[in-house]
Amino acid sequence: MTMLETIREKLGVAGPWVEQRGVHWLDCTGVNVRTLAAAMNACGARFITITAYELPADTGFRMEYHWDLGGQLLGFALPLESKSIDSIYDLCEAADWIEREIHEEYTLDFAGRVYEPLLLREGNTPGVNLRETGASGKPASGLVGKQEVAR
Amino acid sequence: MSYKIPMGPYHPALEEPYKLDMICEGETVTDAQLHIGFNFRGIEHLAETRNYFQVIALMERVCGICSFIHTLTLCQAMEQLTGLTPPPRAQYIRVIMAELERLHSHVLWAGIAAKLMGFKTMFMTCFEIREKVMDILQAISGNRVNYSMNRIGGVNRDVEDPAAILKMVEALEKEMAHTIIPIFTTSTTARSRCAGIGVLTHQKAISCGVVGPTARASGVPQDLRRDAPYAAYKEMAFDVPVQPDGDVRARLLVRALEIMESCKILRQAIAKLPPGEFHVPEGKFSFVTGTAGSRVEAPRGEVMYSVSWKENARNPSRVHVRTPTYVNMPAVRWMVRGARLADTPLIQASIDPCYSCTDR
Repeated sequence: MTMLETIREKLGVAGPWVEQRGVHWLDCTGVNVRTLAAAMNACGARFITITAYELPADTGFRMEYHWDLGGQLLGFALPLESKSIDSIYDLCEAADWIEREIHEEYTLDFAGRVYEPLLLREGNTPGVNLRETGASGKPASGLVGKQEVAR
Repeated sequence: MSYKIPMGPYHPALEEPYKLDMICEGETVTDAQLHIGFNFRGIEHLAETRNYFQVIALMERVCGICSFIHTLTLCQAMEQLTGLTPPPRAQYIRVIMAELERLHSHVLWAGIAAKLMGFKTMFMTCFEIREKVMDILQAISGNRVNYSMNRIGGVNRDVEDPAAILKMVEALEKEMAHTIIPIFTTSTTARSRCAGIGVLTHQKAISCGVVGPTARASGVPQDLRRDAPYAAYKEMAFDVPVQPDGDVRARLLVRALEIMESCKILRQAIAKLPPGEFHVPEGKFSFVTGTAGSRVEAPRGEVMYSVSWKENARNPSRVHVRTPTYVNMPAVRWMVRGARLADTPLIQASIDPCYSCTDR
């Protein structure tokens, strides 16, 4: 049995691994992210990153967790209906900064961890979301272009 | 009694702004906190407002040292989403550019490390060598920093004078073998400033998930060029230097040996450079809906791009960039623990940090 099949079995996932566009994907709907992180630790995989996608029409988020296993890029997509997911920081030290960054950018909560002072911006208001500023095409103050620069 | 000593965000030892708050007992650092974000530009979010052509120019600005690597990683991801495969000559030119970029990055780092050791003449020597690499990069691309070389399906310019690259490689190898490596490895100053300083243990390197020379200097033998080859790296024979000690000297040695390996790769790439087109023919292409992942071994370690697109969309729906310093930097906290305060500038520099990349 290959290492990938062992991981699939350990996670109790029925669906197969799908290799698509540079990533070996496993649909982990229903799997707790901490179980996933523990399984990855057990097989000696190296944590790479988490990517958060905001789904359209406020339908939640999709979290993609990536690990490297002997040169193979593994991807695990986890749908997220609420704005909270378990933290894996205590299981996987390398996830610290990316969890903090996602927390600041999307106001997602990684349950079970304490956040140190903000990584990206000063102040105590997480969720001053850059995407919202970009989407409206206007700067945060409401002033436009040259006025904003002059100010 | 403990003291908190800040280094940064603006400090003579730092090339870019970030802050290291060190908790000291006398001259010994007992702990440290890192603060980044002073250059945060929101590039990932900006990327969502750029089309497939503009996004390449944008992502080239993530880093001023490995700008080619960022566009290479992005273009590889976009090629997977469009189904375009670059012709063989383009793959070889990508290898040549990537290795030239590694050379100039590593030699630049050696110069900065020498300066932090108090070795000013070595700093000048390294920068003189780096200029030769920069001249070649400029001769190929027309630019010294942002090369504009990559495009979806290949590269924008051909390598017209491979002989000039070979000449530079010979000069660089000679200088490295006869001057720089012997001085860095045998000089009492270099040894006393680097050996046993800023140790990152093998175990800690694995738990922090560090990458690139920082990982290889702690005995972690990972290199995407060998483990998950891209472009034309499958065709290249080279070694991956690994050192077990995890100290500043090990990081220095790994980079020095990597310079020699890069020269080896460049010789092969030039010798085997296939004839033909260097990009796919002009024409229409379209993106499929989905996400593509792409990874490249940058001078500082693994860069990963996760790019999502929707069919018929003008812009990407998400571009996530994981840069090497983003994972290497948290390990500095463990490297400076127990170190002398005076050694911390060199220790933090030993991972070759890039805050432009980290803050992206």
